[in-house]
Amino acid sequence: MIIAPTNAVSAEVSPVDVHARGALLLLLASSLGWLVLSGILALIAAIQLHSPAFLQDLPWLTHGRAEALRETAFIYGWAANAGLGIGLWLVGRLGGNLLRALNWTVTGTVFWNLGVLAGLVGIALGDMTSLPMLQLPRYVQPLLVVAYAAIALSGVLAWSGRRVDSTYASQWYVVAALFLFPWLLTAGQMVMLWAPMRGTLQAIAAAWYAQGIWSFWLAPLALAGAYYIVPKVTGRLLPSYEFAPLAFWVLLMAGGWTAGRALVGGPVPAWISTVAIVAGMLVLFHHMVLGLNLRVVLGGTGNALSFIRFGLAAYILSGVLNAIVSFRVVAERLHFTFAGSALDQLAYQGAISTLFFGSIYYMLPRLTGRTWSSGALIVGHRVLFIAGVVGAVVSLTVAGWLQGGYLLDGKTPVADILGNIRGPLLIATASQLVMLAANLLLVVNFFQSVCPCRTADASSPGPFRQPSAVEATAT
Amino acid sequence: MNGPSNSDPRIDQAVVTDDAVVVAHEKLLGKQPDEKARYRLLPLNLLFIFSGLIFFGATYLGRYAGYFDPKVFDETAPKATAAAAAPEDPIEKGKKVYATVCAACHQANGMGLPGAFPPLVESEWVVGSEERLIRIALHGLQGPVKVKGADFNSMMPAAGRVAGSGFNLSDDRIAAVLTYVRQEWGNKAGPITTEKVAEIHGKEGDHKPWTAAELEKLP
Repeated sequence: MIIAPTNAVSAEVSPVDVHARGALLLLLASSLGWLVLSGILALIAAIQLHSPAFLQDLPWLTHGRAEALRETAFIYGWAANAGLGIGLWLVGRLGGNLLRALNWTVTGTVFWNLGVLAGLVGIALGDMTSLPMLQLPRYVQPLLVVAYAAIALSGVLAWSGRRVDSTYASQWYVVAALFLFPWLLTAGQMVMLWAPMRGTLQAIAAAWYAQGIWSFWLAPLALAGAYYIVPKVTGRLLPSYEFAPLAFWVLLMAGGWTAGRALVGGPVPAWISTVAIVAGMLVLFHHMVLGLNLRVVLGGTGNALSFIRFGLAAYILSGVLNAIVSFRVVAERLHFTFAGSALDQLAYQGAISTLFFGSIYYMLPRLTGRTWSSGALIVGHRVLFIAGVVGAVVSLTVAGWLQGGYLLDGKTPVADILGNIRGPLLIATASQLVMLAANLLLVVNFFQSVCPCRTADASSPGPFRQPSAVEATAT
Repeated sequence: MNGPSNSDPRIDQAVVTDDAVVVAHEKLLGKQPDEKARYRLLPLNLLFIFSGLIFFGATYLGRYAGYFDPKVFDETAPKATAAAAAPEDPIEKGKKVYATVCAACHQANGMGLPGAFPPLVESEWVVGSEERLIRIALHGLQGPVKVKGADFNSMMPAAGRVAGSGFNLSDDRIAAVLTYVRQEWGNKAGPITTEKVAEIHGKEGDHKPWTAAELEKLP
């Protein structure tokens, strides 16, 4: 089924874009800076796994800190800025009114990034919290809450002031993420840093927070972009769309409960892990409906859809693998091995980053009113990045599987185990290097594309196809 | 393929407006007020899959959730019964045995009936030798006996698991009831262990009811 074709220029040129250009470009530019930084840190941390002496004389770059810095730069630097930029743009566009309170967004973005920078310096100095996904030192966290509220205000206003009552899946996911993240962040801080709960509860809260970053925040933001761009570019109605609300609610209701799978075999009551295993299976319904809805992506062409296609495949695969790995018989071998890193790479690089890239590639020409500067850099980024993700996921899975076998066997000393899996770890490092190189291509292309120095092509009537061309091809 | 070709990677062309996307999909949800009810029943295969996942989840929870007990860490552990969770207090157990077996003659207050059944309160037989007391409880007592200066002459039946016993109390219940009577009503003698009862039971076997004279030869 296709959506009735519409005038392509009016489909693309929206006053929302021009109005929000400055604020959204600031978010995107910041995100790309952190993306490169986290890529460099990922490379350092990966090298240290097979060559422990690397940078060992720099106390602020020992493996523990390098890993915490990488994770923080990735989540709170890259993913937060990019996700919010995409999310605000989507609710603005779909709401149909100009984004309001954009000066709040700009101020919030500046302070958010200063907060993340201060947090990274704090981590390098050894002030990290040791909580997964929440390594930022305690003293920058209140600033982040306030800065986040300032950024998100514009999205909330766009939602409440939308022109039509009808809503679309992208809006649900963005609005859920906008509201759930501050709840997650403040509740997590409260029970883990300001008034810490005792004993086992602390571990459960930490696992819930780390899972919440995925289920309540980054996954919804990434999916919102996919839900928007797929029908826009293909012009097709999403099949089985009547199930989309169910998929949305299953993610929100069951997603957080999957947290306990990180605690399988840990010092928590058995039911915590069992409920997590069951929730992991229930969330598969979300993944299945998502696959049904967005399967029209297979029939589309274009750069953004290529990214989204890979990102959705990684997203669904990661849901299935997480459900399988959480079962105790599998966790027995793979828990606390590099297989966990492999799943993280699949989820955060393969799904989140790739889906964000697809959205950014689609979004930037709308914001600037011009095409991207270089097609070759785009293709290079896509090919290299996907190769890097596949390399990292496959090599770390192999490393984790072997490592789990050695650890269960118990006869091989830990140092020898790392020696035996040196091959896969070297490939993982090479993959990190490839991903970093790919992302540098994106950064170069981004700044070339937004540079005011770029001369407009006078012969071109504008980047967006003329209505007649659409009518000729879309019937 | 209905969309225009999208061969230039530098820009992704869209074919529909935002409003068209929202409106067209809103209709699929069947909420449009001007539409006739377009709500479709859940297609059966999805309904089955979702029900299947819920059924799996419920079964799995029932089996491996450790009864949602905060103290169960092994999901395969059998449900803890009351006895296994906390071994029964021998005093409580002895009190129950006393009420069902002994109280008929010795009375609930342990005072017996003057002239018929001897008292247990401050009785030298109760708070004195373990050897004698255990034998009385296991095999019974017949013939004349002097308790707290008073003479009694009646028949106490065997309570242990011995030939001719009407009660067949196991050694640990004998131990429990004797421990109970030795600390109740102001009695202050030490507990009787199951091991000690079993030892005497093994030594004497199915002895006939004892006489006071026989018992007085024992320590």
